[in-house]
Amino acid sequence: MLRAAPVQTGGSHYFVKLNCLARHRFAVIALAVIALGSAVWQLLDLLGALNRGTDFGVPAFESRFDQFRPTIKPHAVYGYFSDNPPNDPSSLSEYYLTQYTLVPAIIKPDTNEDLVVMNFHSERPDQAAIRAANLMPVQTFGHGVLLCRHPNR
Amino acid sequence: MTAVVLALVWLMGIAAVRLMMPAPLRWSLQNAIILSAGAGLGIGIASSLYFVVLALAGPNLVALASVEGAVLVVLVAAGLIVKPRLDPLDFASGPATPGYLTVLFAAAAVIAVIAAIGAYSLKPHGEWDAWSIWNLRARFLFRAGEFWKDAFSSQIAWSHPDYPLLVPAIVAMCWTLAGAETTVAPGIVAFIFTFAAAGTLIATVGILRGKMQSYLAGILLLGSTSFIVIGADQYADVPLSFFILGSLAVLCLEDRNPGDLRLSMLAGLIAGLAAWTKNEGLLFVAALVVARLVALFFYADRSAMGRRVGGIVAGLISPLAVVAFFKLRFAPPNDLLSGPGKQVMAHLFDFGRWVTVIEGFLIALLRVGGFLIPIVLLLALYWYLLRFKVEPGLRVSVATVGFALALMLAGDFSVYVLFPNDVAWQVNTSVERILLQVWPAALLAFFLAVNVPQLVGETQVVHKGKAKERVKRQK
Repeated sequence: MLRAAPVQTGGSHYFVKLNCLARHRFAVIALAVIALGSAVWQLLDLLGALNRGTDFGVPAFESRFDQFRPTIKPHAVYGYFSDNPPNDPSSLSEYYLTQYTLVPAIIKPDTNEDLVVMNFHSERPDQAAIRAANLMPVQTFGHGVLLCRHPNR
Repeated sequence: MTAVVLALVWLMGIAAVRLMMPAPLRWSLQNAIILSAGAGLGIGIASSLYFVVLALAGPNLVALASVEGAVLVVLVAAGLIVKPRLDPLDFASGPATPGYLTVLFAAAAVIAVIAAIGAYSLKPHGEWDAWSIWNLRARFLFRAGEFWKDAFSSQIAWSHPDYPLLVPAIVAMCWTLAGAETTVAPGIVAFIFTFAAAGTLIATVGILRGKMQSYLAGILLLGSTSFIVIGADQYADVPLSFFILGSLAVLCLEDRNPGDLRLSMLAGLIAGLAAWTKNEGLLFVAALVVARLVALFFYADRSAMGRRVGGIVAGLISPLAVVAFFKLRFAPPNDLLSGPGKQVMAHLFDFGRWVTVIEGFLIALLRVGGFLIPIVLLLALYWYLLRFKVEPGLRVSVATVGFALALMLAGDFSVYVLFPNDVAWQVNTSVERILLQVWPAALLAFFLAVNVPQLVGETQVVHKGKAKERVKRQK
């Protein structure tokens, strides 16, 4: 019969049979291999994503507002308008990103404010869309970002 | 400069934990706990102070630096003066740890660090919740000057302005003291919480069950890819998991020395900071107190129960006072809990909601940790092969952790069933992170309860007859 080394647990000694030894080794190695394998897999994924690089993300979005941001004053409230289709999944995320970028101003997701931040995806903003929203351009900041206001206010 | 500020915050936390569980200034597992728990506790204390100073004195750099500096000096002085215990806590005795397990543990740690740095490099502003909630709030606190209360404006209700401020406040504090806004501050804070949780788990299991169990617990937590990545993505779930684990770990250490009320208070203080991290932290505070009462009632000397739970409550007072100050004075009502009572009753009797939530929890359970295969199944196999053997001295600890986590999950489950309007969306977007909040503490309970594996054996063959002779000789 095979025996394992004596084990001391809580001050008591006992022997563990070989089948226990094998079971224990299998259990520990399985746990460790799965944990490490998962970690390595994840690491490779991350390194791959880092190598590919990405043009989209918060920094890229923020850089579009680089010229606009210095004009922002605390406690200001702006409306928001975008040329994204209303049901486009990126519509909501771009609105949230605009708010994140333009803190400390508060950006509301409508055009009811005196001043409205326009977020277009081309260098030439859609003038028809601006007129349809009953707005008038005040200043252009490049990258499709401009500030508009209601003409009658 | 951000790193210097956070190093001082860490020092503040180390001093605070050392004050409660002093150890000689040399290597020991007790000092490993002081270093790990101190990292998160320091952030919690500094963050609370930042918010109180901001609320009372406005955005005043001199006032902030003076208060934070004074608390740091007092805590460090007290931490140095306090008399350490002569026998610092170290690894519990147990079977020899094979070399390969040490290598695997070190590999898991190195991979986790690289993965955390890689995930941060990929998304320096963090994932969705990080920039749309936590860093957004930090920017308001830092950029808005005297209008910092705009951070809680009902005009941006989608950003959950009622959420507690531990993470945004520490980030804004770093930016204020460093004089610059960078993504490094939230990145380092996220890194600290992720690895402080790992350090706390490894050191606690090491003290209570020995080196081998602690390495296994460490390999499992550091190998939990979703824990590492969600931590690096700057979600507040990992800081919350740190505070849940930290308070339970300190209570487990208190069970070794039931007369030491300082540990009960420390556990209460850490649990209170969970409530300053996320709303689920308030649920955890309630679950912890009830679980502790039940565990002490059934498994410990009942005459000391009031005193020991009183210690936890004493520790809870200061962080909960900050939470109450924020909730009552600044925070708008919570969107989930502000629905009409009639609607809640309708949700309760909606069978479909129960199915959606149960299904969501079961799927999340199979995915917890983000392993290549469902780790709960592997842990079930591990349990079958090794079996549980809770030592008498650990029964209160295991019961406390088990009851607290069960109550916490039952509370989370109830919230899903009763409150959100779109329960499917709520479950899909958050239930995996809810399980991640309790994952490190669940590993603590598991490795406290499961048998210590025996991995090193004698290689010689002993025949039955010879074995009998040997037994006779031994007699």
